[in-house]
Amino acid sequence: MMMPGKLQGSAAGNRTSYSWLTAALIRAAVVILCVMTAVFFLIRIVPGDPAKMILGEYSTPEAIAAMHHTLGLDLPLWEQFIRFVKLLFTSGDTGNSIVSGTSTRVLIAERAPVTMLLIGMACVIAIVIALLLATVAATNKDKLADHLIRIFPAITLGMPIFWVGILFIMLLSVRLRWFPVGGVGEGWSGMLYSLTLPAVTVAFSQIPTLVRSLRAQMLEVLESDFVVTLRAARIPGRVILFKHVLRNSALPTLMLLGVNISYLIGGTLVVEQVFGIKGIGSLLFTSISNRDFPVIQGIALYCAVSVVIISLLVEILAKWLDPRTKGTR
Amino acid sequence: MKTTTIYPELQTDGPKTTLLRRILNTPSLLAGSIMFAVLILLAVFIPYLSPYDPTEQNLSAFLQPPSAEHWLGTDQLGRDLFTRLIYAARTDLTIMVLAEIIPFCTGIFLGMVAGYYGKWVDNVITLITDTFIAFPFYLIVIIVAFASGAGQRGIYITFILVGWIVFARVVRGLSASFREQEWIASARTLGLSGPRIILRHLLPNVLPQAVVVLMTDMVGLLVAIVTLGYLGIGIAPPTPDWGTMIADGQSFISTAWWLSAVPGFAVVYTGIALSLVGDGLADLWRKK
Amino acid sequence: MQFTASIKKTLWSGTLAVLLMAVIAGCSGQNNTAASGETAQPSASQAADAGNNTSEQAAGGTFVYGRPAAVTSFDLHNQITSNNAFAIDKVFESLVAFNSEGEIVDWLAASHTISEDGLTYTFVLRDGLKFSNGNAVTAKDAVFSLERHLKVGGPLAIAAKVDSVTAQDDKTLVIKLQEPYTPFISELSNFSNGIIPADFGGATEEEFFKNPVGTGPFAVEAWDPAGDVTFVKNANYWQEGKPAIDKLVYKLIEDDSQAINQLKAGEVNAVEALALQNAEELKNGADTAVVTNGSWVTEQLFFNTLDEHFKDVHVRRALALALDREGLTKALTFGYAKTANSLLPTTIPYNANDTIKALNYDVEAAKAELAKSAFPNGFSTKLLIASGNSTRAQEAQIIQAAGQAIGIKIEIESIELASFRERFFAYDFAAMLNSGQADSPEANSILAFQTDPEGFSKSYWTHYTNDEVTKLLYEGQKTADGDARVEIYTKLLQTLADEVPYIPLYYPDILIGARSSVEGLTVLPNGSVRFEDVRIGQ
Repeated sequence: MMMPGKLQGSAAGNRTSYSWLTAALIRAAVVILCVMTAVFFLIRIVPGDPAKMILGEYSTPEAIAAMHHTLGLDLPLWEQFIRFVKLLFTSGDTGNSIVSGTSTRVLIAERAPVTMLLIGMACVIAIVIALLLATVAATNKDKLADHLIRIFPAITLGMPIFWVGILFIMLLSVRLRWFPVGGVGEGWSGMLYSLTLPAVTVAFSQIPTLVRSLRAQMLEVLESDFVVTLRAARIPGRVILFKHVLRNSALPTLMLLGVNISYLIGGTLVVEQVFGIKGIGSLLFTSISNRDFPVIQGIALYCAVSVVIISLLVEILAKWLDPRTKGTR
Repeated sequence: MKTTTIYPELQTDGPKTTLLRRILNTPSLLAGSIMFAVLILLAVFIPYLSPYDPTEQNLSAFLQPPSAEHWLGTDQLGRDLFTRLIYAARTDLTIMVLAEIIPFCTGIFLGMVAGYYGKWVDNVITLITDTFIAFPFYLIVIIVAFASGAGQRGIYITFILVGWIVFARVVRGLSASFREQEWIASARTLGLSGPRIILRHLLPNVLPQAVVVLMTDMVGLLVAIVTLGYLGIGIAPPTPDWGTMIADGQSFISTAWWLSAVPGFAVVYTGIALSLVGDGLADLWRKK
Repeated sequence: MQFTASIKKTLWSGTLAVLLMAVIAGCSGQNNTAASGETAQPSASQAADAGNNTSEQAAGGTFVYGRPAAVTSFDLHNQITSNNAFAIDKVFESLVAFNSEGEIVDWLAASHTISEDGLTYTFVLRDGLKFSNGNAVTAKDAVFSLERHLKVGGPLAIAAKVDSVTAQDDKTLVIKLQEPYTPFISELSNFSNGIIPADFGGATEEEFFKNPVGTGPFAVEAWDPAGDVTFVKNANYWQEGKPAIDKLVYKLIEDDSQAINQLKAGEVNAVEALALQNAEELKNGADTAVVTNGSWVTEQLFFNTLDEHFKDVHVRRALALALDREGLTKALTFGYAKTANSLLPTTIPYNANDTIKALNYDVEAAKAELAKSAFPNGFSTKLLIASGNSTRAQEAQIIQAAGQAIGIKIEIESIELASFRERFFAYDFAAMLNSGQADSPEANSILAFQTDPEGFSKSYWTHYTNDEVTKLLYEGQKTADGDARVEIYTKLLQTLADEVPYIPLYYPDILIGARSSVEGLTVLPNGSVRFEDVRIGQ
């Protein structure tokens, strides 16, 4: 992630935003290229052969060789790599799926919206709950509410996502029938409804770190000279809390959220498996299992680009939020 | 030469009673340590506590409900579930601790170097970190698991590859901020070499924070091990492991829910213990 | 007051998240339009709303079938795996077919005759046969289909030495063989010998298999090669009044428990390939049921007969004697499997399962057998299994315990499927767990793979070589059905049971989970399901 130090360490003030953006974009491009190269070679080092996955265990060597030839897998590795790079730069695509022949871009474009909606919903839920809990905890430091809220992350931190998902399904879907068991509903309301439970499950994994970070930051700000001064100036408590404290403690949490989202972009696999959602994560798992190289590369590209965009956005937001850089704008 | 530290209470040369009292005054640390100690004691002494062998099968007594004989019943191969549960703690906790050692060290080292030297060193290390973060996490995990075959080796390799990032990020931020502070600057003007400053002055000051992160990260690692078991690429049978136990029990969730619920609670229990320890340590070092 | 303020903050954070999403969505949207050269397959609709299923009409409606893998191709000559096979056989049909008992029956052919010498096969097509697009089916279409299959080869290549395929007239097809091959008629029932329109009905190969046209009960309406398929009923289907349902949806549900829970909640009408350990739960459920049939599968422990330990027949026999196959079957299959004696499942003719003398559980005899081997004091070895299959992992542990009882230390090596295939294709294993599956109700189907050292898989990667067995295999292929063939196969199977290049463990049943209201599911022994008579019910 390309955010934190840039602001604090180097001279953020005396560089123009233009050159900053150029530098960030170059870094982003390098990161994406590194990821693509690494993925290309990694997935080919792993034992396994897409032809054998398609043709099954009763396939003759001739059939396998013929399929290798059609797929270009019989070429030397460097030649395959050159082909791949050419394709990537000329069309921005990573080729057609080996298994189904469909364009990778089409496959990803069909699945990305669901996964994004899932991540979005999970983040909204996580942020709302984390804000609420952290505020209550920080303003009631060392009282009962604070202790209870501090135990909450300790409990949820050790909960495997799939385990929470299974328990939710058993209880809320199968027993109580409040939510659909899995899959994705039709239309906006259907989608939101069917993604609620998966989103809550994902949020469960996000809340602990968010609450912790937010509470710690808020306490730090609450105990700072700055707030003491404000208090002395008889500014009402809630104004201090919401106008100053939250704003000043939001920054590190925002960074944390950025990292969490980056992780989630390629990491919704488990929750998608458990809830039977056809998203990017489950496509990734199937593609790796089948050694569908172009699709794996396509997903890696998509994830890398998304992560880079998120980091840029977070960085820009951080600049805007940070009171230190505020004056210079 | 005396080490500089902004957490003076870390130094053990203070009176022992004060340290002990401080620990006793930090309820989360106390509770977490006790919970963790109970688990460790159980895991160490299980051969003397249970009459069963964790891999001993009894095909005529499979899937039995909990009874006086088998406290948590038996699994599909008629093995005692309680015994397996505790033996699994041995497997999982050992991996959890061992797999953190290398990432913990490399992470702190790279973080300090990046934070202290800044400039191109920082740029290179940050670029590597960025690349790893932009990599879909499960792609690395699954590829390494597939490439290294089943079992523990894959878990170690995966976490050596990706585990250091979280430490590097935290330590880099800390080191960069310490760098600007007076005591480091004065150490530099005194003519101390970089490695010396890093090891003797920076390290003691970033370590507490890193240890707090370590506690949380170990929980994350444990959850990851269990999740790999669920995906079918975890620890190889017949070694007992919470993840495989949850996955195997999942088929019987409506007839014998405890098969997968109980190992899940074991993971949650360990998570609570370690989080409390982490929280407590953070409190302890924050208190003046 | 505090709350309004906090809501503001929340809204702000919410907007932030939505904004992030919108930006990313925008990017992927651009990607999408940029790919306009390709036609996007419309994603199959999730037609599983409860309203649809619980409608009271006896016929019609949409039947939703949960499956663990997506349909990736309809190219019948290039596919073999069940995810595709069981979709291809809904669209394309063969001249002959097998019923749920595994008997060969005339299908698109009204009748067929085999000449005395076993060299000439004559098929007469049914009257009024039409493809789903309304065009008539002629013998020319059959000739084109079989010739393409012969040309392509593919994973289910025609094993008979075909001399000629000719259309005698519009309705009569004659196939001549160079030498007799008794399994031929049975192999013709494979989905890979389905009839497609001559010259792909004028389309290119690629176009045709994207919008396949066949004689089957269903036609493809929407297809996402990494997701769902929606079939519509073929209005021109030759079996009048069938299928009863209007639409059939293959819904991709990769996770086992997710599939079962969707079935329990009524979000799907049935699920394919139910795991053995899940059957009991559905059978006991109030709204769910299990539909079963015997399968063509034999679960086996394979030995690499080139391995330093397992090349010794006494070692293989010792392990077979040490293994409680009955106990294993009971513990792992919950009554949904038969313990195996013979290599051939009981659903296959000539299986000889009841008469064969297998090496049954007897630890003392096992120890005595091992004493005769080159390793009387035992040894250490490895057992290779594919991960992600809970039943196999349990089997492996039972085998491990059995080995331990006679001094053979077995380490379980559990690796993921694609790597697993790499390993055994390279003969890089000592022992492995896998299954043998017949493609048609023919003894030869499993035997040809597992006993022919000259075949490409060298007796299914065991390298098992026994000239007498190979001779019997070829004799069996040429001998016409009858007592002579019984004798050949009984002898062959007994030799295999004595020399154990593989230990047949059990024959698992095919398990389909369904809502109890579903009627008319016909489960075929290859694991496919006929939906022609299905009624969704209430």
